Amino acid sequence: MTTIEIPNDGNRTPDLVEHTVRTIDVKRSYHMGNEIVHALKGISLTINRAEYISIMGPSGSGKSTLFNMIGGLDKPTEGKVYIDDVDIAQLDAYELAWMRCRKIGYIFQNFNLIPVMTALENVQLPMIFAGMNTADAQDKAYEILKRVELGHRIKNKPGEMSGGQQQRVAIARAFANDPAIILADEPTGNLDLQTGKLIIELMRSLNREKGVTIISATHDHKMLAVSDRIFWIRDGKVDKIERREDLKIETGSIESASGRDIH
Amino acid sequence: MTSKLVPHIQRQIVLPTSKALEIAYKSIRLRLSRSLLVTSGIALALAFLMSVLTSEKLNDSMRRLATRDSVPGHASMIQSVEAQKLQQLMRSNGVPIAPTDIQADGIQTRWLLALALMVAFVGILNSMLMSVTERFREIGTMKCLGALDEFIIKLFLIESLIQGTVGTALGLALGLVTSIAGALMNYGSFVWRAFPWWDVAESASVSLVVGIGLTVVGALYPAWHASRMQPIEAMRVET
Repeated sequence: MTTIEIPNDGNRTPDLVEHTVRTIDVKRSYHMGNEIVHALKGISLTINRAEYISIMGPSGSGKSTLFNMIGGLDKPTEGKVYIDDVDIAQLDAYELAWMRCRKIGYIFQNFNLIPVMTALENVQLPMIFAGMNTADAQDKAYEILKRVELGHRIKNKPGEMSGGQQQRVAIARAFANDPAIILADEPTGNLDLQTGKLIIELMRSLNREKGVTIISATHDHKMLAVSDRIFWIRDGKVDKIERREDLKIETGSIESASGRDIH
Repeated sequence: MTSKLVPHIQRQIVLPTSKALEIAYKSIRLRLSRSLLVTSGIALALAFLMSVLTSEKLNDSMRRLATRDSVPGHASMIQSVEAQKLQQLMRSNGVPIAPTDIQADGIQTRWLLALALMVAFVGILNSMLMSVTERFREIGTMKCLGALDEFIIKLFLIESLIQGTVGTALGLALGLVTSIAGALMNYGSFVWRAFPWWDVAESASVSLVVGIGLTVVGALYPAWHASRMQPIEAMRVET
């Protein structure tokens, strides 16, 4: 392992990369006993910088596989996945770890905070991995926690917080290293309607504020209203891609049912 | 360090040891009762080891004193009358003086000792495996945040080392106290006439190495198992 000091702001690419994520004819198959399961059957898509994307699809559609692929958590059997114009198949374990730490922020359905750590320590952890000193990490973690309106709960452990609060800590943690992409896997799946709305609202405003690309796998129709585009996945393929403008006309009922008070 | 293919991707990710210590310490505190159980298991096994080794040295020393073999630095101190007294004391307390009796005694003790150490080892292994299984999602999450395999191994080894060091230290103290107490009962104040300081220190170092060695070896497999965890595991929903 190398231990060279790298300035903390040196991780952002100054050149203009318009596409944060690009997949070219991505296929992924698994061996299940003697059978080969084709989870993805050739997916090509492009996600632009600062877009808010929802990936929708029934379970078993390949949605999660695609999501893992985009997040650099899984590698394709065939085809290419580019994250910030980097072919992830070319990366070794260290580079992948670096990418997960600095380029991508993850938000999970189960929040996945480290139970033994306080909110502040949870948010600090990715910064410490990134080599930031403890004092700076602490200051920055506090700032982000204040931004998600948890400035008063920094000393609390996950077990002492509500689901919505835990998810806000998780969002703060995902933003810790100023990533280019935020990947959210069913971020509202374990939250009640009202809390879910607040979380979506928060993610959307951070997306606007920081110009970060947000990609979210979801079943939650509240999410559609804030998404710039929606990828519908079915049977390992992209079924259709909708823009929000189209969606408003097509699914007006969903909009009025859950989307109105989000804006 | 930059890769040739992708100039803006770097590979430097760190986990300072102080932070690793802090995390390990906290997760021990979270599972305190189990940690205490494992630690006391190690302590008892090591106390046994320490007391067996030390008692052997003390008995040897006393035997030499009683038979007026040369005890360096002490030989001149003891009078033959006192040697007789010591022999009498040993006989009345049932301490074996003849070499054959000593050997038979030793073999049995060694078997017991092996058993005790084995139990302690399995205890560590089991406890660390449980700790890994319980924390599947936590490990996956850490990997999503950029943790390398080494970090996970480091965390689990430190956790085990803390338990091992505390257990070994307690065991050493306990073993030393019991063996000296036993010797005092058998030999009275003669113990101090020829206390084998160097030999006891040697026993302590052997026990220390055995105790810490056991904990490290017992934690290696679970730690390795944990480190190979894929970050995807963190994404799987299981509540």
